[in-house]
Amino acid sequence: MRNKLFNRLTSGLLITALTATTLTACGSNNDTAAASDKTTTETSAKADASGFRTLDEIKESGTINIGVFSDKSPFGYVDENGDYAGYDVYLAERLGEDLGVKINYVSTEAANRIEYLQTGKVDIILANFTVTEERAEEVDFALPYMNVALGVVSPSDAVIESLDDIGADDQVIVISGTTAETYLTKNYPDIKLQKYDAYAEAKTAFENGNGVAWANDNTEVIAFAIENEGYTVGIPSLGDNDTIAPAVTKGNETLLTWLNDELKALGSEQFFHADYEATLIDTYGAEYEDTLVVEQ
Amino acid sequence: MDIDILKSYIPLYKDALILTMKIGWQGILLSLVLGLAGAAILHFRIPVLKVITGIYIEIFRNTPLLVQLFFIYFALPKVGIKITAETCGVLGLGMLGGAYMIETIRSGLESIPVIQTESALSLGMTKEQTFIHVILPQAISMSVPGLLANVIFLLKETSVFSTISLMDLMFTAKDLIGMYAKTIECLFLLVVFYLIMLLPVSILGAFVERRMRYGQFGD
Amino acid sequence: MANLGIDVLFKGTNFFRLLQGLWVSVEISLVSVAISIVFGLLVGVLMTLNKLWLKAILKIYLEVVRIMPQMVLLFIVYFGTTRIFGWDITAEASAIFVFSFWGIAEMGDLVRGSIKSIPKIQFESAYALGMDKKQTYFYIILPQTIRRLIPLSINLITRMIKTTSLVMMIGIVEVLKVAQQIIEANRKVSPNAAFGVFAVVFLLYFIVCWPISRLAIYLEKRWA
Repeated sequence: MRNKLFNRLTSGLLITALTATTLTACGSNNDTAAASDKTTTETSAKADASGFRTLDEIKESGTINIGVFSDKSPFGYVDENGDYAGYDVYLAERLGEDLGVKINYVSTEAANRIEYLQTGKVDIILANFTVTEERAEEVDFALPYMNVALGVVSPSDAVIESLDDIGADDQVIVISGTTAETYLTKNYPDIKLQKYDAYAEAKTAFENGNGVAWANDNTEVIAFAIENEGYTVGIPSLGDNDTIAPAVTKGNETLLTWLNDELKALGSEQFFHADYEATLIDTYGAEYEDTLVVEQ
Repeated sequence: MDIDILKSYIPLYKDALILTMKIGWQGILLSLVLGLAGAAILHFRIPVLKVITGIYIEIFRNTPLLVQLFFIYFALPKVGIKITAETCGVLGLGMLGGAYMIETIRSGLESIPVIQTESALSLGMTKEQTFIHVILPQAISMSVPGLLANVIFLLKETSVFSTISLMDLMFTAKDLIGMYAKTIECLFLLVVFYLIMLLPVSILGAFVERRMRYGQFGD
Repeated sequence: MANLGIDVLFKGTNFFRLLQGLWVSVEISLVSVAISIVFGLLVGVLMTLNKLWLKAILKIYLEVVRIMPQMVLLFIVYFGTTRIFGWDITAEASAIFVFSFWGIAEMGDLVRGSIKSIPKIQFESAYALGMDKKQTYFYIILPQTIRRLIPLSINLITRMIKTTSLVMMIGIVEVLKVAQQIIEANRKVSPNAAFGVFAVVFLLYFIVCWPISRLAIYLEKRWA
């Protein structure tokens, strides 16, 4: 019987030791892999650890994996027939068409976006991905296709017009892995954040009155205030003016170059204005068209 | 792995551990109360309550905690019932745990030979005295290994709390990965902190099981 | 109270999608249980053998499964392995791997328990009849073990179905994610959809799991 106790103790220690060694081993593995990435030629790209697929490999396979939101209307959501739709998806559809491949949509959460690219689980992220310096160290952004800043929405009977209005016990709802979260964590560390995984959860919680305000991309909070009665965007623009762009795995030059050329070509035909009119005009009306849309 | 990153993350994981433990143990306490009450109801075959307990067990044993939490936290406010995330966590865990604790304690009660009750009654004890002083203590000590297994199960189940905005260990890891993409460091700390939380309970389980074998009479 | 949002389920293919989502969960569970039963038998037999190193390895394995939440394992397998070894495992494969990893340990332990519970005289009689060790296991011990195991493994199915709700976190669109998508797409027209849709999801899980767990209890009583 003594053995059993002893066994459990040792096995516990062993697990820790094992995970530690594997993880350290991998840490260094990863570095070397990343370093050798640059030296290997593109033809052998399939074997590298970051696991991205080059443009030719995508074309050859006939399918492209695109990460989009599935619960962030009107940018990326699933309609009642089970089809993906929204501003980001409109672009994705066009990319698939011009590449001549089928699209496999991968439903992502905000916090998983970098991870999906770095592990090569998707080829492109088109999930309202704001360009930031920190993220640019982890992934490669193509040219932007939308403007964005942060915004804060609150119930109309208790509008928050400045972040200083937020009391010590008040909680602000954010979505894990968004720029709003990073911005508030860095610049307003005293504000209590209530974090959610998914857009649908955060919005439902906000409707249920679980937080005094919801901070997110201003596009998103404006849309929410327009679509739902009784809410006002007290802070329409916060932090820097940023842009939203497609992102690919770091080092995936071929795909990035193609994307940039494609975005330029789309710009010359005013594609994103058409996109806006197809997907966003019901929500925002015509007045936001020129402030939101970016054409190359 | 970057040691500096590990160091800078440790305080966040520590906070998460404290929150996880706090909600976890409150939930476990609630589940024990429910478990004892439910087991007593089933043991004495109290009419009406017996049926309610049965339904309660079936519902909570046959649906996932995640769905239970979704329902309590997101759906109930729509009909005017609003509770905070922490209360929801404690309640959800307690209700789920209760359904399992009842079964464990009940099988403990059933394992006590009838002769014990008969002897106690023949010594002039009342039915209540017999239950509280003779049957229950033995039944509980019989069910301790089962109860500890439930405790581990419940502490593990806290990993779904992220959906209701509670910063437990799992959510802290996911959140940090989302913000800074230091996946390996985050997952490593996650494993370490779960070990810190659960290994002692697991060891205690082994220890108790060993003691139990000596505590038994006969076989 | 007029509108609790059940109506959104009858729009378009919403309800069908919800069922499809549920099927994804059930499918992952069934595949994992099948794998768990086959390898669980093997692991269970190995656990009864008297080899120290084997016991140590299996002990560690059991303890890992016991202590680590399935969600942690899912994250490690889905994201961690790609980081560490460069393997590209799909979300579905990761889920099946993790659930089987868990199920095999559970089954193994159950098998070990059942084998231990078979009276020693069964082994001795078989040996006395001239059977070798392999024959004894195959013809005498395992058939008896399996009968005791069936109710327990049916129980495992419901536990797995319940746990599959976690796969949402690694991007598999199962019933809860579909529920969120439906709520999101209809937020404007049906702000209370969260109640109706989550209530239906709750019910769906119950409808799937309850008969299975009743069956397990029935078989347990009958075959015990």
